[in-house]
Amino acid sequence: MRVGALVVLLLSLPAVASPQTVRPKPDPTHPDIIVSRQLAESEHLAVGSIVRLATDPAGTTSREFRIAGVYEPTPNPSRLGAVPREVRMHLPDLLNLIRPPSQVPGTEYVSTINIALVDPNDAAAFSRDVNARMPGVVARSSSEAAGSAGPFRVLERFHLAIASVTIVAATVFLLALTIMLVEERRETVGVLRLIGLPIRRILLQILLEGLLVALAGALFGLALASGSERLINAFFQWKYDTALIFVRITRDVALTCTAIAVPLGAAATVVASWALLRRSGLRLVRR
Amino acid sequence: MNAVGFAWRSLVRQPARAALGVLGVAAVGALLFDMLMLSNGLVLSMRDLLDRYGWDIRVAGGDLPLQGPRIRNASKTADTIASLPSVRAALLLRIADARIDRPSGPPLTTQLVGVEVRSAPGRATRTSPPWTIVKGRDVNNAGEVVINTPLSSASHVAPGSTLTLRALCVAEREALPPTTLRVTGVAEFPFSGVDEYVVGGTLATLKTACGGNVEDEVDLLLVTSNGDADGAAAAIRAAGLGVNAMTNDEVVGRFQQAGFSYFRQISSVLTAVTVSFAVLLITVLLTVSVNQRLGEIAALRALGFSRSRVVKDVLSESVLIVGTGGLLSLPLGWLLAAGLDDILKAMPGVPAELHFFVLEREALAIHVSLLVLTALLAAAYPMRIVSRLPIAATLRDEVIG
Repeated sequence: MRVGALVVLLLSLPAVASPQTVRPKPDPTHPDIIVSRQLAESEHLAVGSIVRLATDPAGTTSREFRIAGVYEPTPNPSRLGAVPREVRMHLPDLLNLIRPPSQVPGTEYVSTINIALVDPNDAAAFSRDVNARMPGVVARSSSEAAGSAGPFRVLERFHLAIASVTIVAATVFLLALTIMLVEERRETVGVLRLIGLPIRRILLQILLEGLLVALAGALFGLALASGSERLINAFFQWKYDTALIFVRITRDVALTCTAIAVPLGAAATVVASWALLRRSGLRLVRR
Repeated sequence: MNAVGFAWRSLVRQPARAALGVLGVAAVGALLFDMLMLSNGLVLSMRDLLDRYGWDIRVAGGDLPLQGPRIRNASKTADTIASLPSVRAALLLRIADARIDRPSGPPLTTQLVGVEVRSAPGRATRTSPPWTIVKGRDVNNAGEVVINTPLSSASHVAPGSTLTLRALCVAEREALPPTTLRVTGVAEFPFSGVDEYVVGGTLATLKTACGGNVEDEVDLLLVTSNGDADGAAAAIRAAGLGVNAMTNDEVVGRFQQAGFSYFRQISSVLTAVTVSFAVLLITVLLTVSVNQRLGEIAALRALGFSRSRVVKDVLSESVLIVGTGGLLSLPLGWLLAAGLDDILKAMPGVPAELHFFVLEREALAIHVSLLVLTALLAAAYPMRIVSRLPIAATLRDEVIG
């Protein structure tokens, strides 16, 4: 079993003093750090710059670091709206920076250790083993630790509720429209009845028509959604300066939409036609 | 008969169609109304919560209250702030986690809030702690606490009885001895979540529960100014205490930038989509309806109805559908907002008394304006059809057809 500890920690800059850029003098004693793109842009930092970091605003225990790179932070939906001004450094450098003078080196603690297993399927068994053997340490699989995704499940329910209201409104309008469209074809249906077509045959024809129209509508809706997907993502990514994806038309989403829209459209056509078909052919042609 | 009466009769003549049109507008209007209430609801609600107890300045160690490091040398900092001429009083607030063991079932995890008021000698200190007593009385001494209603129900503890808890003041894995506290009342804590348990008491009570294992640090200082919150906040910032002082307005502004903007954006997008949807559908309804009555309209024109009169009829029909649907949308939207609010308040950490949907006059005015605009836009194309209708040709086509 391979166990690797994550040796890079995130440091949120509000907890550390704002970095001060100092002269870019190459010095092998300067530890390397990497900075987030947003921080690099806001503080005009570049690769090779020497910056000074401290744990308090006064900069009493500051240390100099060399920027070895600029990285794009992994999008974090739970920090939407907060500009990720972050620095990543090696764990020993972080501990040297934050250790109080009174603390003996080697007695510090870390908050989390991320572990990569050879077989990810062993995560549950491994967590149980660690919890049993090491009191005081809590091991959880990544999926279990992702319980913090709660807000997004709530947002999903919220969006589903809004989608339901939209479907109700669309259904009502659809019914109104189909009633009017069927009324327009009143005489045609009457003639079909008079020449001997049974109600079931006409209903089947109306159902097929309804299915075709609903399918065409659903496909048009999906095309419109795909087009707006890019626009919405571009707007929100610009707004929040993030690489997060806000709208994604997946295969499942497309199938769900089609599965709702097509039967709904066809059913609305049949329901609207039913009252018309119950009348006699003569009444339909107004004779 | 005027145009509105005529339009009313046209609608009543086809009740199913008219009812469905009105219901559709009501459903879309309800969604629109909710989105307008959502766009500013969080800000208004947060503002109300912040202002509720008269503390008009928040002093924190980080950028936002309770989202950064604690304030060190808290007592000295609070005394310095309280001694400023523009400040009436300052309240130290420290939060710790605690567990309440129960005879059966897992322990209850609660928040233990400790507060202490500081003010300069001779200044009036009529200040309220950040909670509202709903039963019993407030705390007067160390060792006394108030608890919130969910905790009272879950632990079956009422005012007058005692509560034994184990505080976790420094690390999650602490093993402090249990502390027994006397419950004097049940209180509402404005910033506690729907299912969160909260215990409130004095700072001394919290320190006792922590076994003296806390330094002179607090999570937040609440400050009451002498009326000029901006001036007092500026004075605190100028005092060089290494803390961040924000008026309630500034706190709301920061929240608006950080977390609330998502709901504002989503409400803007959905408002635009909803209005477009309503305009499109009512336009189609009216257009099809007008197309079916072209012969009738041409006959009316032949009988002497003026062009502007038939245009007014179509416009009145649109106004009646949208107006009736719009009126229905208000109670529908209110009910829908209550349901959506419950869904969103299930988010972890959202205060129970914070509302996402808040009714304000401005939202109502925008709602009415958008519905009026919808009625006008939706009627524009069918009005154009009837205004350009050739009377003789239409009558001939309709009769021969």
